[in-house]
Amino acid sequence: MTRLIDAPRRGDVRFNRRTFLDALLAVGFVSTAAAIAYPVALYLVPPESGEPDTSSVVAAKSAELKPNSGKVFKFGSRPAIVVRTTDGDVRAFSAVCTHLDCTVQFKPDTSQLWCACHNGTYDLGGNVVAGPPPRPLETFVVNRRGEGADEEIVVSRG
Amino acid sequence: MRRTAPAFTAIALTLIALRPAGAQPAREPNTCATCHASVPEQRLAAPAALFAGSDVHRDRGFACADCHGGDPTAAEKSRAHDRTGRASTAFIGKPVGQAIIAACARCHSDAELMRTFAPKQRVDQATEYATSVHGSQLARGDTRVATCASCHGAHGIRLVNDAKSPVFAANVAATCARCHADPQHMAGYKLPDGSPLPTQQFADYRQSVHYAALTRVNDLSAPTCNDCHGNHGAAPPGVGSIANVCGTCHAVFAQKFEASVHRQIFDKGCVECHGNHAVMKPSDEMLGAGGRAICATCHTAGSADDKGAQAAERMRARIDGLKTSIEHSDAVVARFRNAGIEVSDDELALHDARTVLTLARTEIHAADPARVDAVIEGGAAIVARVDKNAEGDARELQFRRRGLALSLGAILIVVVALALKVRQIDRDRANR
Amino acid sequence: MSVMLQQTTAWLEERFDLSGVRHFVAEKGVPIHAQKVWYYLGGITLFLFAVQIFTGILLLLYYRPSAAEAYESVQFIVTKVRFGWLIRNVHSWSANLLIAAAFAHFFSVFLLKSYRKPRELTWASGILLLFLMLGFGFSGYLLPWNELSFFATKVGTGIAGGVPIAGHFLLRLLRGGDDVTGATLSRFYGLHVAVLPAMTTALLALHLLFVQRQGMSVPLETEHRLETGEPLRQMPFFPNYILRDVLAWYVVLAILAALAAFYPWELGTKADPFAPVPPGIRPEWYFLAVFHTLKLLPSHILGIEGERIGIVAFGLVAAFLVFVPFLDRRASRGARSPLFTVAAVLGLVYLITFTIVGHYAK
Repeated sequence: MTRLIDAPRRGDVRFNRRTFLDALLAVGFVSTAAAIAYPVALYLVPPESGEPDTSSVVAAKSAELKPNSGKVFKFGSRPAIVVRTTDGDVRAFSAVCTHLDCTVQFKPDTSQLWCACHNGTYDLGGNVVAGPPPRPLETFVVNRRGEGADEEIVVSRG
Repeated sequence: MRRTAPAFTAIALTLIALRPAGAQPAREPNTCATCHASVPEQRLAAPAALFAGSDVHRDRGFACADCHGGDPTAAEKSRAHDRTGRASTAFIGKPVGQAIIAACARCHSDAELMRTFAPKQRVDQATEYATSVHGSQLARGDTRVATCASCHGAHGIRLVNDAKSPVFAANVAATCARCHADPQHMAGYKLPDGSPLPTQQFADYRQSVHYAALTRVNDLSAPTCNDCHGNHGAAPPGVGSIANVCGTCHAVFAQKFEASVHRQIFDKGCVECHGNHAVMKPSDEMLGAGGRAICATCHTAGSADDKGAQAAERMRARIDGLKTSIEHSDAVVARFRNAGIEVSDDELALHDARTVLTLARTEIHAADPARVDAVIEGGAAIVARVDKNAEGDARELQFRRRGLALSLGAILIVVVALALKVRQIDRDRANR
Repeated sequence: MSVMLQQTTAWLEERFDLSGVRHFVAEKGVPIHAQKVWYYLGGITLFLFAVQIFTGILLLLYYRPSAAEAYESVQFIVTKVRFGWLIRNVHSWSANLLIAAAFAHFFSVFLLKSYRKPRELTWASGILLLFLMLGFGFSGYLLPWNELSFFATKVGTGIAGGVPIAGHFLLRLLRGGDDVTGATLSRFYGLHVAVLPAMTTALLALHLLFVQRQGMSVPLETEHRLETGEPLRQMPFFPNYILRDVLAWYVVLAILAALAAFYPWELGTKADPFAPVPPGIRPEWYFLAVFHTLKLLPSHILGIEGERIGIVAFGLVAAFLVFVPFLDRRASRGARSPLFTVAAVLGLVYLITFTIVGHYAK
């Protein structure tokens, strides 16, 4: 059988078309491989918030939380509050008032957690002291991480 | 009431002075119980049976004679029921009216005595009772009113925090209703303005949010009759003092109401809008000048002169506006969350916006639209910020779609090239 | 490039006997006939399974199989991890496409009677693989721990409880207890990432080995023509057929990417075991026909619970399917076997109809 097509020896057009096709194929394979490898590579790199931040989050730097003060921070998509008592003890609670979901705040003059909506008041154990809230505030677990000036307060769900 | 109080106090003090020297645990045998338990007449046997069951006095060693007098060692009726002799041991039979108060107060108003049994318990119930409507009626000789025994029982008395006690928080309303919801019993009594005393308070109260909190959620801090009317000194709160009564728990609302124009106008404060017994869960519909709004009771919608109606409409409109924009943003954020965009910051912000909504609903009690406006502004700003972030989220989605289009382009190149290559290889083979 | 390939091959040949591979590459052919388009389905199913393994392993790196953390971890993957949304959506869509392809592959083989002698074991392993794919679908569906998946699992395992005699035991075995709880999640996770993959690997290896050793089956008409002396038209597996296979895979990849980006899978709401069953709860489409049939059965037939009879009936059908090659005597002889063709068509029509009906039913 005669070789009707013997591309490398024939005219320029066919030579180019064959190698052009091979080149196109190669480019295609490489670019699709890259289009897969790129997202996978980025996926493998751990995101900044290492864990689902509905289970654990850095609430504040130790140094910036003074005694008898509180700070509201984001825990998942709900507010939470971390408090340092006058004795230096650090506690963390859900800042969602158990009455009608308003965000509570820390009142330094009474050293209690207070809800501005209907005057609900909680002590620093999260228990209801006055007002309409029917249940105590959810308590979270507090841990420290790091050293010295970089020490962080880590709040987790427990 | 004022005339009889000193006399009554004198009687009480006398009886206290003449009390048995240091109430002591009953001495066995107790012939009262033995006899009365075997008597066929129910009227006489029932008290003995009740007292033999769960009773707080019996548990502490008190027996029949400690209240009724008589001789518990006597086996024979006339000696057991001896009405002569020292006042502290004379048989008084079944006490009625003031005698009940006296019998109970003999111990319960004695601070020294009560300290040995229940140091924290108050000892002024009798004095309080004297100030109550029940007390003053009783002093006038009306024995249809409630006395100690009517609410607490006489035999088979339980502690107040015993859930089966008729004066346990959740049972108080039913106990009061025994008389106050009975039209026959209340016939003849009148309000200060001459109209007959109503009897549907219990039915009203049962529909209220306070009753629901007490019985369904077991929130024992929810009010029942005695929390607003007083306990032993039960009387309806006077004009002008209702806001104080409600304000003991609803402090923020009372504060804001205090600053409002309604304070000077309303006779009955909170009750004008929220009712007294059938206090329902409030809703935004109560505010406004038309439809089911309560403001419409006094204000006329659409009237150019009625500034109150305009204020009500304005406040309602602002609250509704914020509510709608929060719901809208919520839906948008949810859509992005499902598409995989990180939106927890926006969700937190919307949570704060809802807090503002609650604060605004409190602020309306000051009846000043400018104050409500100020509160709502904060919420509107939050929602505006969230909406702005949503634009960024939409851009992120667009970016992803563009990325996809690019990869699809690359894939398409490969598909076309492969198809051509296949054709080429087939041709090669065919031509070999 | 081919120089490098030759050098590598030479290096290997000095160490291993590659004659089998050489023979395979040089000689393996794929028959050419009117029905050859159906050959691609097996490869597509295999490709999609590979995609599942790949994306599944990636998801494994971040997923947490506990009732308290599963939903949040999926949320984390989708919102916080870069391209997590892509990996998760590809995995979810590919699962559905995989089962669809597996069913298409099954029906094409059933209708073309490729199961006939000598390919009975290929068929049997294939049916078992199909069941394993359904098992993957069922176990994987629970893992995001959202409301829909929780209740679909509750209903599905509840049906398993209807199996006569062993029903209650089976239900407890599947659920890890009497109810669907975190224990169920752990169990399904173990099934999904360890047990089922191990079984699939073994069966798939056998299935592919059989196919490669025996070559591709041809339709009965083609076989008859071959018997009359006509030469078999073939194309070489390498490179002609394999390039076509790869082409098909790329098309599937494009479809997957488009679906993942334009129709993202919802997160849903986190499962609450104490919430009431949402009305109209149904399983995923691949179980819908069976589910709806069971729902339509009357509550009692001849004194026995209707659902139980339905379950037994489906069990019998499953068993029947495994043994089809041994039951279809005519096909083994190479004769036409209209009975089984009709059965296959009826089965296909039934599945399609009841899936549609089940989808639109209230």
